[in-house]
Amino acid sequence: MKDLIDKLIQEKLAREAEAKTRRHFIKNCAQGIGGLALSSIFAGCDPLTTAPKKTQAAFSERDLNPLATLAPPYSSKVKSVIYLHMAGAPSQLEMFDYKPELQKFDGQDCPQSLLEGKKFAFIKGTPKLMGPQAKFKQEGESGNWVSDYMPHFKKVVDEVAFLKAVHTDQFNHGPAQLFMHTGSARLGRPSIGSWATYGLGSANQNLPGFVVLTSGGNTPDAGKSVWGSGFLPSVYQGVQCRSKGDPVLYIKDPDGVTRDLKKSTIDAINKINKQEYLKYADPEILARINQYEMAYRMQIAVPEVMNINNEPENIKQMFGVEPGKESFANNCLLARKLVEDGVRFVQLFDWGWDTHGNVRSGSIDMGLRNKCREIDRPITALLLDLKQRGLLDETLVVWGGEFGRTPMQENRGNKKMAYKGRDHHGDAFTMWMAGGGIKKGACHGKTDDIGFSGIEGKVSVHDVHATILQQLGFDHEEFTYEFQGRNFRLTDVEGEVIKEILA
Amino acid sequence: MDVLKQLLGRLHPLLVHLPIGFLIFGLLLQFLDRKKKTYTQLIPVAYFWGGLSAIAACITGYLQYLGEGYGFDTIKWHLWSGIATALFSFLMYFKLSGVKNFSFLTKVPIIMLSTIFFILISFTGHQGGNITHGEDYLVEPLPNSVKSALGIETFEAKEINLTEENWEAAQIYEDVIHPILNNKCVSCHNPKKAKGDLLLHTPDAILKGGENGEIINPKNASDSDLFVRMKLPMDDDNHMPPEGKTQPTKEDIKLVGAWIDTGNPFEGSIKNSGLNKELFSSFFSKKDNLDYPDIEITAASQDSIITIEKTGIHVDLISKSSNFLSVSCINKPDFTDADFEILLAIKSNIARLDIGNTKVSDNIFKKIALLPNLTILKLDNTSISGKNIKEIANLKNLKTINLTATNFEREHISKFSDFPSLQNIYLYKSNIKTQEIKTLNKGQISIDYGGYELPTLPTDSIVY
Repeated sequence: MKDLIDKLIQEKLAREAEAKTRRHFIKNCAQGIGGLALSSIFAGCDPLTTAPKKTQAAFSERDLNPLATLAPPYSSKVKSVIYLHMAGAPSQLEMFDYKPELQKFDGQDCPQSLLEGKKFAFIKGTPKLMGPQAKFKQEGESGNWVSDYMPHFKKVVDEVAFLKAVHTDQFNHGPAQLFMHTGSARLGRPSIGSWATYGLGSANQNLPGFVVLTSGGNTPDAGKSVWGSGFLPSVYQGVQCRSKGDPVLYIKDPDGVTRDLKKSTIDAINKINKQEYLKYADPEILARINQYEMAYRMQIAVPEVMNINNEPENIKQMFGVEPGKESFANNCLLARKLVEDGVRFVQLFDWGWDTHGNVRSGSIDMGLRNKCREIDRPITALLLDLKQRGLLDETLVVWGGEFGRTPMQENRGNKKMAYKGRDHHGDAFTMWMAGGGIKKGACHGKTDDIGFSGIEGKVSVHDVHATILQQLGFDHEEFTYEFQGRNFRLTDVEGEVIKEILA
Repeated sequence: MDVLKQLLGRLHPLLVHLPIGFLIFGLLLQFLDRKKKTYTQLIPVAYFWGGLSAIAACITGYLQYLGEGYGFDTIKWHLWSGIATALFSFLMYFKLSGVKNFSFLTKVPIIMLSTIFFILISFTGHQGGNITHGEDYLVEPLPNSVKSALGIETFEAKEINLTEENWEAAQIYEDVIHPILNNKCVSCHNPKKAKGDLLLHTPDAILKGGENGEIINPKNASDSDLFVRMKLPMDDDNHMPPEGKTQPTKEDIKLVGAWIDTGNPFEGSIKNSGLNKELFSSFFSKKDNLDYPDIEITAASQDSIITIEKTGIHVDLISKSSNFLSVSCINKPDFTDADFEILLAIKSNIARLDIGNTKVSDNIFKKIALLPNLTILKLDNTSISGKNIKEIANLKNLKTINLTATNFEREHISKFSDFPSLQNIYLYKSNIKTQEIKTLNKGQISIDYGGYELPTLPTDSIVY
């Protein structure tokens, strides 16, 4: 018996020693010394009881709830962002960037001057130029070009502002996606959504601030880092929800666990946590208590907001949703619901846009048309539905891929491909933004006659980021986070706000 | 050894207070001793210890000077006066303890010595303070009028007020270049200081240049010291302004360069100067209002905000630079008309009110009418019918009202024409079936009834 007690005591001591990390030790020392000094001044005050109280008063709301909202430095219209990313890189030449001249050169060798010093993912030797495979028309009052691959989209063309000459320095999916979402082609930086939730928090206390929805049968090549929090606290990373099955894995209580039992479990855990807090006065513990309670509330709130069955029939028809399946249309409707409920940043990824021409589904004239059909109605419906609810004024919608595609037909292995395809191309591609603070019907930037490079209004990925942050009320040069001894920015040392597309 | 030197040096700011204390104490005793000679024996003791600790202060002070990289010019007055103080303490000690060799001093009245001594200590201490806190530390809080009366140089930052509208008409020198130079350079290059014999406060002074000659080579910024010295990297000895002073931004420098390149005009508007708009756009005042009222109001009390937030109502500043608040009941779906009372404590600050998805009724309008600066009002997904909507027609800042998914009735639409600033009304899914009134007040107000449809197209079902 005595042995057993000794063993237990040993174990308890070991546990306590483990719990006291170096950081706690140093903190305690500092508090202890401060406390000692205080106690000698205010005789009769016990430093052990006064110290935690003192620190408690110094906590900000953020220490206790990392998603507590913060005011942006500058006022902004935009409360939420919906970012639609077409993973694999859509062909701007078949969707929005109309190049009639390219048609004239269809089938001719690409001029050497264009190829010199350029790297392509697959193109070898001298590829042949390929004219646009879609038919284009100027639509709306703005007269911006939209192809017949996007027949519904013309209805909202006057709502969006095009960026026709975006460029990136990456030509492979993974790094390019990372660059597009974190401002760096290398791992380790926080994504835009993480920056936004870190900087602004999120109003709805029952839902995550940054939600990610994927469709197209695959997640982006760059993996979850494209919605990762990098060096920001991990609470700011994107929460991936699913439109099929449980919206969040393991959100349901296990069989036999009732809501009441769950509540008392969490209460018990939090009671212990509170005791730990009284002992160590570590704000991380309070944040953890908060997270448990939020998770408990989310168990009810998330399935509710993620359920599209309760939407009226006309809305379901407008989006073209397929309840129970994983689809971009479902995700668009969910994005609207989430934004309506105050979620700060909704990130949609649709996979399957890598149209090299190596397979039928990856062909410019067939596969791409199918992909366009899958997004055309949902995106149009999303903009219209946000608009009719008065939400478009307060939501920024961004559409794009990680790069664009070549005006040349791909000739992988210097051979003719089975289908028509285009290779990766970062020199010039199209993105658009719509919603709060964006100039309706604007078109900024121009590419050369064959759509190879930007010749006017070239903007970089950093510029796009600077613009998104600006719309959320940040100056991208002032919005920093200190890590490893220096301040980091989403836009690193670059980026200029694209004023031309701002209202 | 270096460590010890440095450590001792850093003890200087602490040690200096010992001689100050002892010596002032000695002077005080002398003052008290002037009639009744009660402390006579004590006074030399104070001076003796004062002198000893002054020597310690001198040594540590010298070590600090060596270790912390101060320029000799910066500290020379403090150094010499410090040594003088130490010597003077012993002089006082010897005189007062009656040492014979100092009999030459007997003729000098003690009151004179004490006065000189007091001034010397104060001077030394002040010089030391200037080194650690900066030369203007003591007088800095004084109002400008007092400063100029005292003959202290005053510095007033000048604001650059450019906007999207006025930038072309603004004066290139007076409104932009002058404020930049004034805010970043003139604190050292003014008639009173004139570092390097250079003045930058007037066009004539700028053209005249400094001890190294002219600083502007017209139309050639890269050969103009005014531009080149700012452009040099921070660690270059010739970089201006020197380390520790407010640095010009990269836009400031770029603009000064462009201004020189275009022939440094001192007269005329920006438009006449022919300089590109992009050079100025970063100076455009970040106009922060967007939709919200363009007035200054006092901040709401933090206590009221905390009280309101405790009830589950969400209160946020519109932005860090604004005192307007955005209030939302997103986490309080059971909000009722009665709950509104608590918001009255911050009524002038509320610019955006989201009470959508709550249990409010048509009686709420009487209360909303009390929010003078309300700009955006969200009442969506409530049972509002709109019969009291007239109550809020007095809100002169109200621009957007969201009545999506309410019971709002058609007969009340016309009442919106009395709203002075209203622009957008959202009436999707309200009780209105006909949508003939799409705008009001000659198009100033637009009404969105929603109900958009995307009819099926033949291409919808073609799978390639």
